[in-house]
Amino acid sequence: MKFSKLWRLSSVVYKEVSFQSIFSLRAGSLLKQRGKTDIERLVRSARLNTLISKSLTAVFVGVLGLFVFVPSAVNTPLVLSKEMAFVGGVSAFFAGLLFLIAFMGLQVTTSFVSSKVVDVLGSLPLSRNEISKIIFLCLVRIFDLPLISAPVVFLIAYSFVGGSILGALVSVVCILVTEVFALALTIGLAEFFYSRVARGGRSKGQIVARFVFMLVWILPTFAAYFVMSFSREIVQSFAYFVLSVSSLPQVLALIYPFAYGFLLSGLTFPSAVDGSLLNFSIVASIGYMAIAICCLRWVVKTVGRIGTGRMLAGRFETAKDTFIRPRSPWVGIVQKDLRVASRAPSYASLFLLPFVQSAILAVSFSFGGMDLTKTLGILVGVSMIMLLLPPTLLSIEGISSAYVKSLPMKKRSLISAKALLSVGIYLFSLIVLLGVSSFLRQDLSLLAMFGVAHSLSVSAAVMLELLLLANKFWREGFAVGNLYARLSTYISVLIVGLIVVLAPIIAAFIAFIAAPYSVLPVFAALACLEFAIMATLTYRAS
Amino acid sequence: MDQLSVKVEDLVVSYGSFVAVNRVSFSVRNSEVYGLLGPNGAGKTSTIKVLASILAPASGKVEIVGKSLTDEVSVKSQIGYVPEEVVLFDSLTPREFFEFASSIRRLATDTVNPRLEKLASAFELKQYFDTPIAALSMGNKQKVAIIAALLHEPKLLILDEPLIGLDARSSKIFKELVAFHARKGGSVVFSTHIMEIAEKLCTKVGIIDKGKIVGEGTVDELRRLVRSAEGSLEDIFLKVTEQEAGLQDIIRALETG
Repeated sequence: MKFSKLWRLSSVVYKEVSFQSIFSLRAGSLLKQRGKTDIERLVRSARLNTLISKSLTAVFVGVLGLFVFVPSAVNTPLVLSKEMAFVGGVSAFFAGLLFLIAFMGLQVTTSFVSSKVVDVLGSLPLSRNEISKIIFLCLVRIFDLPLISAPVVFLIAYSFVGGSILGALVSVVCILVTEVFALALTIGLAEFFYSRVARGGRSKGQIVARFVFMLVWILPTFAAYFVMSFSREIVQSFAYFVLSVSSLPQVLALIYPFAYGFLLSGLTFPSAVDGSLLNFSIVASIGYMAIAICCLRWVVKTVGRIGTGRMLAGRFETAKDTFIRPRSPWVGIVQKDLRVASRAPSYASLFLLPFVQSAILAVSFSFGGMDLTKTLGILVGVSMIMLLLPPTLLSIEGISSAYVKSLPMKKRSLISAKALLSVGIYLFSLIVLLGVSSFLRQDLSLLAMFGVAHSLSVSAAVMLELLLLANKFWREGFAVGNLYARLSTYISVLIVGLIVVLAPIIAAFIAFIAAPYSVLPVFAALACLEFAIMATLTYRAS
Repeated sequence: MDQLSVKVEDLVVSYGSFVAVNRVSFSVRNSEVYGLLGPNGAGKTSTIKVLASILAPASGKVEIVGKSLTDEVSVKSQIGYVPEEVVLFDSLTPREFFEFASSIRRLATDTVNPRLEKLASAFELKQYFDTPIAALSMGNKQKVAIIAALLHEPKLLILDEPLIGLDARSSKIFKELVAFHARKGGSVVFSTHIMEIAEKLCTKVGIIDKGKIVGEGTVDELRRLVRSAEGSLEDIFLKVTEQEAGLQDIIRALETG
């Protein structure tokens, strides 16, 4: 079949995957009870959401190019030559790009598995090879904006630092190789997840494996975040390493992404780069290109297999007994949410995001001593990420809403369970924050005191968000689609939550100006008051 | 025996401007198996979803086991519901799913486990207890939904096309379970397209078409309604829903085409 026809067919699959991933599957078969106009609105909304998601990644790629690569390459650290700083900047850009695309890809692969698009395509007169190609092209469509923006952004950034034409052409090839690596990383992780991790099993080993993989899943997020936040420090560390070990450049010239750094540096500053380093990097780059071609073939083949959903189907665990341990309703809900999240990468990454955020904030604020401003700044950062969690947790109920709605579940139990889980995650984030800060030899007293007190305010914000969303979507079954389709509701709920978490912080700043000794009592009192009000409202929820 | 398990008066369900159920009234007594029959899009599933407290009616009065639907949690604890389209938490295993459902229903470990063991053995689901629901066949998913609906020994079973995907053995066991449930004093509201099953299983049948009940009673009463002494429920159904006329012409056109 002609490429143009495959490309056209992939557009249909792409639209279906976008719709199913956002609405159909998460609406738990409740779509049928919506009117035609409402469904049409959801379809439009699904397309818009996919576009927003792609555009955001493209914006991040832009940020990576203009605010990571350019400053690293232009503001050369004193100890480092211009061409070596350029190597560091290019390498940081490529590493960031790899992790950014991989992070976005990991969110998308879930929909490929759950939509089982191949089951539909399989009944059409198409060969297995053609189906794989269609699925692959669909994957490319999902990534189109970030994939296109990467070379465009890099070329613009490259022109700022005075790049050559040959360097520009080679950089496009290097970016394509990086993009293929990112897709291969995504698909490799997804294949491993769905074939080894996302199955049932009660043994401790399997539970630990799932937890470890949740951490692996979050690594691209962490890495992308890290590269973007600490590019300057990374380039400086690179400089110290290069200077401290004389043979290190020769080794690095062979390793991805430094190989491309040395190659592009050689093409940009031909007279300044050591000939042997350039030769090493050329050989390595050709090797990586060959690997990328193999990866591309593997991705095309594997992505088709992921789309069949058979990765899960092949794994049966023969059970020996049927024993179950019913708990109280709210424990049952928490247990179920954790189980769903441990097997759904998109949920798992959101669950783990507060931990990553805490670690990053602890590092970011580690320069100089820990004062009140820094403490409150960190708490704002951690609590803002927490606000994203309640809507996600409610959306889990949407997966099976047609069934869940038939259960005698009290609104109060639902809100309490989700609030407890959110606050638990916040407290663990606080532990991560304290752990990293302690490692960086920071004074923990302010962070610990204000962090614990702020947990009451975070609890109140979480309960308020849950209460507002539950009141609005209780009858509709909390399909995540419902939230996205009503973006204004979603955003307004987040704003209300933000006001609640910020109130004690603003009060603390005011107290600091008026009566510095009363900062903590004012902060804690307001947080307690918020918690008391929201706990009462939640208790009264019927 | 005479106590009403389901009482529906002037039920209206609408989706936007489309009225799916239009002033439907019927009742189901204890020990009764009530079959709701109708062509595609007639309003069966909408009616059933209202009974299961999943869908809010536009108007009308509905009482389940003597309680109004506004008493949502109390009503739901008396119901066992099998949806038409089984969409469960696919990433959970049946064991985890039953654990979740039993937790919400506050079932005690020592009462739920013997019942679960019996049901899982009867439906041959035991071996799949630790397999993700996503990896199960449609029939096995249906079994998970059926077992979850029966676990708490509900007073009222609401079943929307429950036999879809079930193999002959499980189908037979399920029909026996439904009959046993009714003999014990429970009641069943059952929607199906399979007329033979409705004929054998249901003590009373309601035929719904274009959102309205167009015929109701026992199979014999419906025969009298259409003035046919021997017709099967399928014949009665086609007559009542006025689908019989022209059917032979359509079949002939398809055969010659």
